[in-house]
Amino acid sequence: MLTIARSELRQILRNRMVFFSATVIPVGLSLLFIAQRDAFSQVPTGMGFLAGAFMMILISMGLYSTAVTTLAARRQTLFLKRLRSTAVSDPVALAGILGPPALIGIIQVTAVLSVLAALTEAPAEIPLLIVSGLSLVLMMLGLALATAGVTTSPEHAQVTTLPVTMGTSAVAFWIGFTGTEELGMLKRALPGGAATELTINAWNGGTDLVDNLLLLPPTLGWVVIGVLLAKRFFRWEPRH
Amino acid sequence: MNTETVIDVERLNVSYDDFHAVKDLSFTVRRGELYALLGTNGAGKTSTLEVIEGHRASSSGKVTILGEDPRNRKAVRPRMGIMLQDSGFAADLSAMETLTLIGGLTGRQDHPDRVLDVVGLTTKADTRVSALSGGEKRRLDFATAIYGSPELIFLDEPTTGLDVASRDDLWDAVDRLREDGATIVLTTHYLEEAQQRADRIGLMHEGTFRMQGTVSELTQTLPGTITFHLPENAPQLPLESSLAGNGSLLIETHGLQQDLHTLLSWAQETGTELRDLDAGPTRLDDVFRSIARH
Repeated sequence: MLTIARSELRQILRNRMVFFSATVIPVGLSLLFIAQRDAFSQVPTGMGFLAGAFMMILISMGLYSTAVTTLAARRQTLFLKRLRSTAVSDPVALAGILGPPALIGIIQVTAVLSVLAALTEAPAEIPLLIVSGLSLVLMMLGLALATAGVTTSPEHAQVTTLPVTMGTSAVAFWIGFTGTEELGMLKRALPGGAATELTINAWNGGTDLVDNLLLLPPTLGWVVIGVLLAKRFFRWEPRH
Repeated sequence: MNTETVIDVERLNVSYDDFHAVKDLSFTVRRGELYALLGTNGAGKTSTLEVIEGHRASSSGKVTILGEDPRNRKAVRPRMGIMLQDSGFAADLSAMETLTLIGGLTGRQDHPDRVLDVVGLTTKADTRVSALSGGEKRRLDFATAIYGSPELIFLDEPTTGLDVASRDDLWDAVDRLREDGATIVLTTHYLEEAQQRADRIGLMHEGTFRMQGTVSELTQTLPGTITFHLPENAPQLPLESSLAGNGSLLIETHGLQQDLHTLLSWAQETGTELRDLDAGPTRLDDVFRSIARH
């Protein structure tokens, strides 16, 4: 798996377009929000809102979109078929391909949230923040596999990734601006909703641990949905 | 020739929705053989090959490779090399990086430098795949198939896009692998390559074998031919003939040597000139065409 992951990382770093869209755009957007952080001080969820929004933007754009684009590109060039002509299993091949985008996403989130913490306040529950981030990474990987199943090319990925990137970002902002006192069940059930609430709680603190852990199942449910959809739709070779 | 069976296909069927691509196909490939799987377009050879290589599940039937299920990659792949019809390489990796990556993932051990040298790509080791020519990509593909000198090698259209010298180099490398006991499964549209090199040939049409055997077994199914032009007012021929398309006369024969002797003796005795005389046994192309027409 590490052999494939190393070669994937090498390819991402060599392809300026992929590298730019996977790193510069989401990080730039996040830094723009940090520069305007005073404008968000009146939001009920406070700086936790910015943390939740950053995590969603970085993971949806940096990880999810890159993962879908990469899988579509590797399938289109028959690289996935090439990997299947070797001794590696399908899960190992996918883990090798998705590992680098996941790693880049995690590094970006860590870096941006560190800047936010340095300029404002440190997160109250760091372990909970890590759990929230990892659950979101898993969810986006599952959804990436599912989306890649209906994506025919890297260009097509620009269209097929929009519902999830826009949808999850909208959910994050909705929860950030309005909280979960109203329509809480609906907001938590939406993809990324529970993870955003967990991130906000972890950053701001003052919430019950059990209540927070109960926010994990909805996110993990989306992981299961993503994997099931991927099993149904994912293709290793282009359709003819 | 070793009689050990390396590939065993029993009543293989492959279907896509309503389309039955492969129908009850059975054959074996013995150790050390070069077996050519040929066929008309849409004959089902790609589907057959994909099942044998473990890339696709069959609809029914049984396939074993080296005594294993071909989909058991961990058991089979370290012992078999696959040269795909389309390269499937990452454009941003160099030739050396590609070979090291794919070769390493096969589970076989080798020195990438050695393999690049065998396929004549040493000077292109640091060149990215996107900058390689079509022929160079085919050679890199061949390099991944022979990495670690596997005992079974699939060559899918191996010489397409190669110049004559590169083709010769590739076949020289295949010959060396065969001397070491490798078994080869070949698909190609260059029938003369199959005719020259295959121990046995399976000719597919519409999902099944129309013929299978050695080159001589296949070519003996059709008569040899003698063609020539006769001058006007030539005496009666001693053999039955028909008019060929270009106005020449055609004699079809299963006793080529005897009938050619009869014809030449007649020409000598009657002082008749046989212009554009051409004679020969049936070629694989002729057998292929006869199958494609039916």
